[in-house]
Parts: sequence; C-alpha cells; structure tokens
Amino acid sequence: MAHQDTEKKLVTFRVKRYNPEGGERTRFSQEYKVEVMKGQSVLDCLNEIRWKQDGSLTFRRSCKSGICGSCAMTINGVNRLACETQALALGSSTITVEPLKGFAVIKDLAVDIDPMVEKLLAVKPYLITKTPPPSDAERLQSPEERARLDGLYECILCGACTSSCPSFWADEQYLGPHAFLKAYRFIADSRDEAPGEHFDALDDKHGLWRCHTIFNCVEACPKSLNPTKAIEALRRELVKEKIG
Amino acid sequence: MRALQRYRIHLGTAAWILHRLSGLGLILYLLLHIWVIHHLAKGQAEFDGIMHSFNNPLFKFLEVGLVGVILYHLWNGLRVTLFDFGLFIEKQKQVFGAAVVLWLATWAVVAYAMLTRVGGLLAAVVRAGGGGLS
Ligand code: SF4
Ligand code: FES
Repeated sequence: MAHQDTEKKLVTFRVKRYNPEGGERTRFSQEYKVEVMKGQSVLDCLNEIRWKQDGSLTFRRSCKSGICGSCAMTINGVNRLACETQALALGSSTITVEPLKGFAVIKDLAVDIDPMVEKLLAVKPYLITKTPPPSDAERLQSPEERARLDGLYECILCGACTSSCPSFWADEQYLGPHAFLKAYRFIADSRDEAPGEHFDALDDKHGLWRCHTIFNCVEACPKSLNPTKAIEALRRELVKEKIG
Repeated sequence: MRALQRYRIHLGTAAWILHRLSGLGLILYLLLHIWVIHHLAKGQAEFDGIMHSFNNPLFKFLEVGLVGVILYHLWNGLRVTLFDFGLFIEKQKQVFGAAVVLWLATWAVVAYAMLTRVGGLLAAVVRAGGGGLS
C-alpha cells in the first residue's frame, strides 16, 4: 500500500499562455510534464513547473487552502480552485489549464479582476444601518436569523462562478453571480436596515433579469454555494417590493 | 461566444441551449404560420391552395417535429418557472430529468395520435363539428 501511495504518474499540463510583452509568441499553448504524486493539487504542479521548469509561468495563489480565492482557473474546461483540485483525481493524462474566461488576461493565468470588484462594490457589500448600535452590546441576531446567512457568507470571491456564466460572456457589464450572492448576503441579514440600497444596482438591464438559470455558477463554485438560489430569491423580493 | 465552445457543457447549459433553439424554432414557425394564414384574406381558393401544398408526408413529419419543439419549450419552461418560485433549485438536474421524461411521453402520445387513424378521426370530428371553412 505504502508503495502505491507514493507512486508517481507522469502528467502533461497544457497551459494556455499569454505574454503581454509580445515578442515571438504572444498567445500560445505550452506543455509541461510533471511527475505527480497522489494528493498533489494542480497548484502544487504549477508551482513545480514555475520553480523547476519555467520561471516565467505566471499565476496567482496565496493561501493554498481554498480560502483566499486567488487561484481560480479553468482546469479541464471547468472553473475550479487550483489548490483544491487534486491532479490525479481528474483522471486525465493531459490536464488543460486556462485563465478564467470573460476577464482580460494580464499574463498567462493571471486575469484582471478589477471589473469584478467594481460590480461587487456596486451592490454595497457591507452592513448598512440607520440606527445607532446599542450602547452596551453588539447588534444581536437570533440563531435563526444567523442561520439565514448560511450558504451566503462563505463566498471567497474567487470569481469562478461569474467567469463560468454564459450571460456574462455575452454581456461583460452583467453584474454576475458573485455580486448577487453577496448582495443577498446583506439583504437577508436581519441587522441590515437599508436593503433598498443593495438593490439599486440589481434592478438593471445588466442586473438580475439577465440570469437565464443555466446553473454554470452552481457547478463552478468551489464552496458548493448556490448563487442561482440567491438570484431567484432576490428576484422574488424585488417583484414583491414593486407590485406589493 | 467563443468561450461557450471551450467551456464544459453541463446539463444546465444543454437545457438552456435547447430552450433557446426551440424558442427560435417557435418564432420561425409563427412567422410561417402567419404567412400561411394571411392567404385567407385572398379568398378561399388561395387558402385552399396553400393548405393543399402542405398536405403531404414531408409536412406531416415536420409537424410532428414541431410538436416536439413546442413540448420541449413547454416542459423546460415549466422547469425554469419552478425555480422562479424558489422550488427545487437544488434539484435542477433531477427536475430536468423529469421534464425530459414528460416531454418525450407527451410527444410520443401526440405523435401517435397525429400519425395514426386517431389523428385522422379527431380531425374528421373537428371538421364535422366546426363545419370547416365551407
Ligand atoms: S459564489 Fe462561489 S464561485 Fe462565486 S465567487 Fe463566491 S466562492 Fe467563488
Ligand atoms: S491559493 Fe487561496 S484559494 Fe487557492
């Protein structure tokens, strides 16, 4: 058994690259071979390529434990976190790695997520209160009120959902599932006193109504969250508010 | 849309693409339908003439196909409507399975009725009851 566990397999990584400095090759695909051990993540393999084979390969990573959200990329045609995807578990001898779709590529696998952050800010992703807090305590919630935020607060803003969404591919101004999920996280919060302010950006032609319930965001989310559920709940709240 | 070619087609994506295509098919059919019906304004002979030209096996076959397109759009449309009401969102794949079963079952029944005497009989009853155009 011990022998089996340390057995290595040769895997080819086909990485889609982009070199902004141009030169001979600007956009190209490059293959690297890595001896992969069971349990090794795609991020481990990319690190190995960068450290031992090609120092020019660029990608983002930080926590290596699925919490910072920086290593989202398209692996074998699906958006995932490189640090949470075991290379051998993919079961393919060639693994394709591409930058997140729908964003401008800065270099190789690093994309410009500024537009995504702007859309996030548009829904005011913070608690808005109008009354002063109690002088002697925090703003309290009942366990039930707190439970309403389960499945919403866990988002790590990796962008895997928005980048997997055909509505976003067709309309780059589309707010995107990450912004909707975050908006609902505050609208559903019993302590928030101005849900309307989060809604402002949502009721727009680039907002809620552009979701076509394709569920790519649900498939892509590495935290197993369900942005579609949030979008549908937001739509119902908006309709109720408009027609009473 | 180049991204669509490079990203995995999940079940939900397939359901959506088929929904869009069937919707497009329905629009084309409606245009054709309006064009055919507008012959009514030109008098009975014209209308009978155009109707006659559709009375052949090829169009019978296309009609059965049209029913399939309509029924897909119907059942998947109901699937999405359930989600709009907040129902079964977490079970979207199973709901799609159910929609496909209902789609194929209803299509089979209607196609059978259209292609066999049942269809002919029904048409005869409708003709006799409605009095037709004459
Ligand atoms: S909802 Fe999921 S996929 Fe989308 S940004 Fe948050 S963690 Fe990432
Ligand atoms: S490196 Fe932080 S989520 Fe992967």
